[in-house]
Amino acid sequence: MNSTIKNILRFCIILLLQVLILNKITLRWWSEPSSFPIFIPFVYPLFILLLPFEAPVPLLLILGFILGITVDTFMNTAGMHACATILIAYLRTNVLSALLPRNLSEYSGQHPSIRTMGWMPFLVYSGFLILLHHIVFFSIELWNFSNIGFLMLKILASAVTSMLFIIVYLLLFTRQNAARS
Amino acid sequence: MRNFILFIRRFFNLILFLGLEIACIMMIERTDTLQGNDIVSSANTIAGIVYKKQSDVMYYFGLRKMNDSLLNENAMLRKMLNRVHTVDTLRDSLVRMATGPEDTATHIIEYANYVYMTARVINNSTNASDNYVTINRGSKDGVRKNMAVISGTGVVGRVEHVSAHFASILSALSTKLKVNVKLKDGTNGLVVWDEKSAGILTMIDVPQQVNVKKGDTVLTNNFSLFFPPDVMVGTVIKTEVEKKKGVQIVYLRSSTNFHNLQYVYVIDNKFALEKKQLEDSTAKK
Repeated sequence: MNSTIKNILRFCIILLLQVLILNKITLRWWSEPSSFPIFIPFVYPLFILLLPFEAPVPLLLILGFILGITVDTFMNTAGMHACATILIAYLRTNVLSALLPRNLSEYSGQHPSIRTMGWMPFLVYSGFLILLHHIVFFSIELWNFSNIGFLMLKILASAVTSMLFIIVYLLLFTRQNAARS
Repeated sequence: MRNFILFIRRFFNLILFLGLEIACIMMIERTDTLQGNDIVSSANTIAGIVYKKQSDVMYYFGLRKMNDSLLNENAMLRKMLNRVHTVDTLRDSLVRMATGPEDTATHIIEYANYVYMTARVINNSTNASDNYVTINRGSKDGVRKNMAVISGTGVVGRVEHVSAHFASILSALSTKLKVNVKLKDGTNGLVVWDEKSAGILTMIDVPQQVNVKKGDTVLTNNFSLFFPPDVMVGTVIKTEVEKKKGVQIVYLRSSTNFHNLQYVYVIDNKFALEKKQLEDSTAKK
């Protein structure tokens, strides 16, 4: 399948998954301390993470803007998601080139995944960017640094949960080597 | 100039990044203003359609819950309506029915014992010793002998004779009809008519130690085979002590105005027959 069509499809799937399913479930890790924040997992930055290696930065920025604005539209948070998503789209190339042994231009026609990068590098790559995304998003959303512990707790809990959802998504939607042969 | 273009090309990514971020921050700023931005909100068409579709689907999963909540609301409204009814039509008292338990589920079950039919009063008498009310419902409408009849404000009587299209009701203004009632504190008793005045009923054999106040409401109790509980019978106007028997007689003003009855409800108690059979079988032994 053509890479462009594939990515458009993935855009739609991830967006619908985020908007129609994940936005409806509010999580909290445990309910005992009532001050523990509630949050929803964000899976949509995965679209930016999974774009092909050789995607140029301007394209990444534009796509990140479109993705963020679309999510904002559905969640009535004008610009907040877009702000965070643009940041990770901008930093994506640098993180990738720092993590991968070879130059990015050598990986033509591939996209970041557990298969092409291996478990650890991919988890570090996605974990770092997701954490960054959450830090930016929740800082803008709360915009109140008087209770920094609460903010940190919310960011951390949300990021870990998002990572779990992302791993589940990847395990579900990546074609395994065994199935291919 | 050339340097400027070179500068732009060199830092194009950074400039684009900063530009987009500034656009986002401006958007966030504008959400606080009244005009806001309608495009980036779920009020716009595409997001609206998606949400509409989703709610169309989710609607079916919520039907059961909605049904329950509607039922509860219905019961609540019914209860409220009762009160309003009373305030409008009954001048001398504010409460026909003591407010029931907060648990509306049990309320519904209690109501389900009784089926209400509306009927129009076509003839009415108040001056005989046994007064009758005639209504325009008969056996073809499901009216049977001994069904209870109430008006919007209180007890009317009991169905005595039934024809195909009409029924005559032995009204509470009759020596034959005894209604099981309870006082405010739960004391049970019987209400009869002493034939003196059309609006006055008497409650006999009330123990002397029971403290009855003027203005107290008297309601039907659960003992009756036919009347639903908590239908108003009347309000206390005076009490008299009968020294010989050591009881007091309570005089009530009937909550139903028998002079201008127009519409009544005929009540079918679904469990009347079963209850009667059970009581008869125990009485024989």
